Amino acid sequence: MNFITHVQLQDWLARMMKDRTVIAPTRAIEDLVRYQPVNSPDAIAFDFTRTAISPKEFFLPASEAILTIERVRQIAAGSNNPEWNVKLGEPELDRSQVLFAIRPCDTHALLALDALLLQEPVDAYYARRRKQTTLIGLACEHPGATCFCTSLSFAPDDSNGMDVMLYPVEGGYALEAQTEKGQVLTDNLALAPYRGERPQKTWLPAEFSVPPRVVWTQLFNDPHWGRLADRCLSCKICAYVCPTCRCFDVRDYIVAQGLGYQKIERLRCWDSCMAEGYQRIAGGHNPRPTKAQRLRNRFYCKFDYYPADFGALACVGCGRCIEYCPVNVDITEVLQSVAIKGETLATNSTRL
Amino acid sequence: MAETTFEPRVVGFLCNWCSYAGANLAGTSRIQYAPNIRIIRVPCSGRVDPLFVVKAFQEGADGVLVLGCHPGDCHYRDGNYYARRRYNLMHGFLDFLGVDARRLKIDWVSAAEGKKFAQVVSDFTQQVRELGPNP
Amino acid sequence: MIEQIRATAREILQNKTVDLVIGYEVGTRGATRPAFICSADEVDRLIWNDACTHNLTNYVRGKHVPPKRDAPPARLGLVLKACDARALNVLLRENQVPRGDLYLIGVVCEGMRQDAGFATRTLGDLQPRCQTCTERVPVVYDSLIGERKTSEVFETSEVWQELDRLGVMTPGERQAFWDAEFARCLRCYACRQVCPACYCVECTAEQLDPEWVGIGICTPEKRFFHTMRAYHLAGRCVGCDECARVCPIGVRLDLLNAWFRREVQQTFDYQAGIDATTLVPLATFKPNENLEL
Repeated sequence: MNFITHVQLQDWLARMMKDRTVIAPTRAIEDLVRYQPVNSPDAIAFDFTRTAISPKEFFLPASEAILTIERVRQIAAGSNNPEWNVKLGEPELDRSQVLFAIRPCDTHALLALDALLLQEPVDAYYARRRKQTTLIGLACEHPGATCFCTSLSFAPDDSNGMDVMLYPVEGGYALEAQTEKGQVLTDNLALAPYRGERPQKTWLPAEFSVPPRVVWTQLFNDPHWGRLADRCLSCKICAYVCPTCRCFDVRDYIVAQGLGYQKIERLRCWDSCMAEGYQRIAGGHNPRPTKAQRLRNRFYCKFDYYPADFGALACVGCGRCIEYCPVNVDITEVLQSVAIKGETLATNSTRL
Repeated sequence: MAETTFEPRVVGFLCNWCSYAGANLAGTSRIQYAPNIRIIRVPCSGRVDPLFVVKAFQEGADGVLVLGCHPGDCHYRDGNYYARRRYNLMHGFLDFLGVDARRLKIDWVSAAEGKKFAQVVSDFTQQVRELGPNP
Repeated sequence: MIEQIRATAREILQNKTVDLVIGYEVGTRGATRPAFICSADEVDRLIWNDACTHNLTNYVRGKHVPPKRDAPPARLGLVLKACDARALNVLLRENQVPRGDLYLIGVVCEGMRQDAGFATRTLGDLQPRCQTCTERVPVVYDSLIGERKTSEVFETSEVWQELDRLGVMTPGERQAFWDAEFARCLRCYACRQVCPACYCVECTAEQLDPEWVGIGICTPEKRFFHTMRAYHLAGRCVGCDECARVCPIGVRLDLLNAWFRREVQQTFDYQAGIDATTLVPLATFKPNENLEL
């Protein structure tokens, strides 16, 4: 492990910015810190627990043309018949990316997404961005008001999944390159070795544990979901700020047209199971017409279906949904009440 | 080197009974007017949802004209009264959002006013030409 | 006041005037949130404070619909502030819910604070809409709780000042301002979902045939959506500014709706929801009016 001072860090970032896109936390408006591409180390904000919106937008952009088709009508030499010359395009990053100061929870989210999107059939667009992005992690120093990663058995200084990991220490950071991608970035750094102890923090104790799958199955028809959904607005805020939510909508558009020319884009955009029309299929049938069904689905997807299908929790305890939900649908409140009900059920069943 | 001068794309929503007929009259009277206008015939100016205008600007129009019957003479009796209220609000709102107010014009042209139609179109096109392409 | 609200709710639930009372309760981590009380022994969940910002009229249509097709529609009790009551008048005028199925608990309101309704946030100053509110007493109610105190009414607020500031800019500068606002927008539709006047079963922004606006989360689409929504609310928006409160990115939706409210007031001398009978200005006309075009 090496030691990097604040000044050395700024220089290192400035050098990276010359040939890579460096995405770092910046203060957008007022109190909102978001990951955005930055041109200078001065623009980087360090005083945040976790950003308002997750950095998943750099791997799953809000709107992405996953396929571009350009058709040009040509008449080949020596022929009288026009032909359509078709050129296909896919989104490419023109420079490799560095995501600086990503928090352990957000990296856990990427690992959870990998469990689905890097599995056959691979989501090529996500995979490409993932491959071309180097993650420089920053360990948390203190929990945010809505953080609960420890209750999901995650640690706020976990370096799992990071290419380079930074731990805040006095005068700078303890730095460790963990992967080849990380070493590429740190190779030319002349850093002194870190002589201190890696700071051990006392984290928030786990307040609860995630109820096991069998409890979720038993509670599927519980009236609790209906009562919870009463105040839900079916907006998409929780899904859009969440680092693991990944559902989308796809549609083709003609974006340019002229004589003998046509450009078509297949647009993939964020969507969410919370929206009323999300699951509506051709013919008009909607499998989840009520708010209760949709809100229930959100929690089941995160804590039941996704772990069962892909082996990872689809929640990392970042607490963004708690902070931004306008009607106080609190995922920790839900988890705790499911746990309590689960215990009652267990007690009742043993009594029988 | 040949300079390409900017030719504005003007979209016109013309009501079938008055302004479209007025346009026809301009044509049969051989009155010249700026050819930039792309005409969309609607039954009544009251049919022109202000969102059509927003969409027209979004799809690349540099100027939008909405022409209807004179108030009191609407073929459907009161469609243009509603249009008048709607555009009074929408014109100001588009300006508030940063679309130059001079890019949208609402006027009343009757079926007998071929000359007026030609005048309105040519003047408007010239104004939009001076404003430049829609950003 | 809390006791009176609870007592009224208890009474109307016990004597079966209503099946459900919608009010406010304490949530988690210091938040206040909407409460749905269906039995008289739960009324002690109801509270009243300066964080009761939500416009509960938003839930009326959803809750009025019966859970089963042949069941009678639910009768609702609603806790309403002055702005929420005007929103209810808008719904009544548009025949969205019969007045007879509602019992309105009007509450005299001294204003709500900024950052209300969210977990873990410290309450700020009075919300701009409350600073300039001259009403405080709901215009429609079945029971009225509280008394009007003489509290200060501000001459202007940040919203109107910002409107003035935008008014003196050039169109190009305004376009840049709004492009920056819309660029941040995520199209989460929270603004639309929280608005009591936005109740279309299929929103123009989500219609696929005809497709007014594509699914892209890009600035032109977002510009269209917000223009369309503000226009569809012209003369119907009561100025509760919940749309601006819920936006996670802080897009200045309150300015868009405030512009229409000011224009409608100045041009047609009309404020949304004062009564449940007057037509919205865009739904009517005067043959001889002289309007600037």
